[in-house]
Amino acid sequence: MMRSLRTRLLAGIIGGMVLLLTIFSLLLYVMIARALVNQFDASLASIAQILATSVERDEDQVEMDLAVQQRPELQNSGQPTYYELRRLDGTVIAKSPLLGARDLPRFEDPGKMPVFTMLQNPDGKSLRAIGLTFVPRNADREGEQATAQPTGGESLALAVARDATDLQRQLRSLRWLLTVASSVVTGLSVLIGTVIVGRGLRPLRLIAAEIAAINADDLTARIEAEHAPAEAVPIKDRLNELLSRLEASFNRERQFNADVAHELRTPLAGIRSTIEVALTRKRDSVEYRAALSDCLEIAAGMQSVVNSLLMLARLDARQITFKTEEIRLAELVNNYWRPLADRAYERQIVLQNDIGPEVTFPLDREHLSMILANLLDNAVEYANERGHIWTAARRFGNSVEITISNTGCQLTAEQIAHVFDFFWRGDSSRLGTGTHCGLGLALVQRLVRALGGGVTAELQQDGIFAVQLIFPIRP
Amino acid sequence: MRLLVVEDYRPLRESLAKGLRETGFAVDATGDGKEGLWYAMGNEYDVIILDLMLPGMNGLEILKKVRSEDQKACVLILTAKDTVQDRVAGLDLGADDYLVKPFAFEELLARIRALLRRGYQEKSPCVEIDDLRIDLAAQRVWRGPEEIQLTPREYALLEYLAMRAGQTVSRMDIWEHVYEFNSSASSNVVDVYIGYLRKKIERADKSALIHTSRGRGYMLGAKS
Repeated sequence: MMRSLRTRLLAGIIGGMVLLLTIFSLLLYVMIARALVNQFDASLASIAQILATSVERDEDQVEMDLAVQQRPELQNSGQPTYYELRRLDGTVIAKSPLLGARDLPRFEDPGKMPVFTMLQNPDGKSLRAIGLTFVPRNADREGEQATAQPTGGESLALAVARDATDLQRQLRSLRWLLTVASSVVTGLSVLIGTVIVGRGLRPLRLIAAEIAAINADDLTARIEAEHAPAEAVPIKDRLNELLSRLEASFNRERQFNADVAHELRTPLAGIRSTIEVALTRKRDSVEYRAALSDCLEIAAGMQSVVNSLLMLARLDARQITFKTEEIRLAELVNNYWRPLADRAYERQIVLQNDIGPEVTFPLDREHLSMILANLLDNAVEYANERGHIWTAARRFGNSVEITISNTGCQLTAEQIAHVFDFFWRGDSSRLGTGTHCGLGLALVQRLVRALGGGVTAELQQDGIFAVQLIFPIRP
Repeated sequence: MRLLVVEDYRPLRESLAKGLRETGFAVDATGDGKEGLWYAMGNEYDVIILDLMLPGMNGLEILKKVRSEDQKACVLILTAKDTVQDRVAGLDLGADDYLVKPFAFEELLARIRALLRRGYQEKSPCVEIDDLRIDLAAQRVWRGPEEIQLTPREYALLEYLAMRAGQTVSRMDIWEHVYEFNSSASSNVVDVYIGYLRKKIERADKSALIHTSRGRGYMLGAKS
């Protein structure tokens, strides 16, 4: 459910908003509530103070000033205030007439400091009360000013309570206001968040639409996304790079298929034309035999092309298994030179095999043989008349390096860079009967790589073409 | 009619040359681009059959050079390249026809015949001179109602004369269009073949069709 970026962003934004609003509202509530209660308490405390100072002790009599008792806030008004003066043993000295028969609850050992508490009136109304103990001053008999300082004697307990319904109502409305405001803000933030997230994700939808519009047949298209936000640009760029790579590889594939078709069409034309011409009239058996042997030769050439293609396809699909065995390289080179010796002799090409009998290493014999056969065949094909072919090898560390070179190379250094390309030929044409169709070196390169090695070709002095193979050897 | 085949794939080149020769064409064939250009520049060919991917020199370059030197030969490109771009490039460089490998030999022959007719501004596949009728497609010849059997070489000579009917054609021209570059025919071979041809097509009771212009050559046509 949270897989959608939109849902995640919305949930994040709204969750954050709700959390912040809740914290903010709570703080605000606590602060305002405290201020209101403090204000209430301050006024309660001041009444309590006035009441306390109005209490006089005369001998054993304790009296409260009548004028004070008549104060309007102590009468039955909208927000009545009750008081009750007690001795510490609990006997009531004076109390608010509004209380009637009721008593204000006693504070448990109020101590010297005023104590505030919430009380419940029997009629269901909330009261907030203050309780304090004090020592009443002594009345001055000679009409002198009473001493401000209590002069010792019995402490009295005074409780003053005031109807807190208003306070409670204020606090309730505050809670209600904050809740409503939070809900409204949350609702608005859901709306605004949805719009913002929707607009923010719009470039992604546009890119998706552009990607959807790209046709598999036409990979030249690129994602434009002109107004893409900075965050989407890397995605767009990577996708475009991917498209470029795909296009290049599709083009390579297309070119490869075209080359394969071309490579098979020409010998096919040869077979067809040879047969058709042979059939145009009655001929003697010698002529038919010649035509058939021509066709056979062409078929052999085509077979070699098809074999190379199959081998390449298997290498690409990694369908080839390798079997490591001990290779005596000098011997292997001689084995694969033998079938070429006649062709080399005809053109007076000399092979110099400089590989010593000590060069042995474990590797896959079948595929190394294929590589050597291809390279030697290539060397004989392209060496000049009376030319030279050299083979050399050395082991160093955990690798073996094999070099096969021949004289008479007509290629430029720039052309050398292409010798491992599919269907590349130095003269943009095939030679002879199609055995050199431009697949040999491409196949060699892929075989060497499959064996974990590397291959390079270079043009040395005096037109010497050298192919160097390096294979890692596991000891 | 003399053809040049430039094709580097040996089996195809050889079978083409053989088939075309047996049809009655004089055929020169080479597998190398530069040599092909040298042949094309040095001789008068009626049709050049040109591969595109050649060692030595690319077929399109040969075509460009041949056209820039104002050689009149018709060029038929014979290649494995079959994309529209390849065909357009070849035709735009001045090729007269384009045939993709593999092809039917019959079709190649028909296209060569069409090019020859075009080269000699002859639209109809049948040429009639007086009561001599030549079916260029079937390579058959009639004088009146009677069909005449000719050897390929005789037919080639007659066809060449028929294509230029009414004009005097020199021995050199005949030699150039009917014989191959390295044929070892003797210098009077043209006269000898004209003799054979006369024996087969002329009738004592009808007017002569092959006329000799002394010192200039031969002409096929009813003398006015």
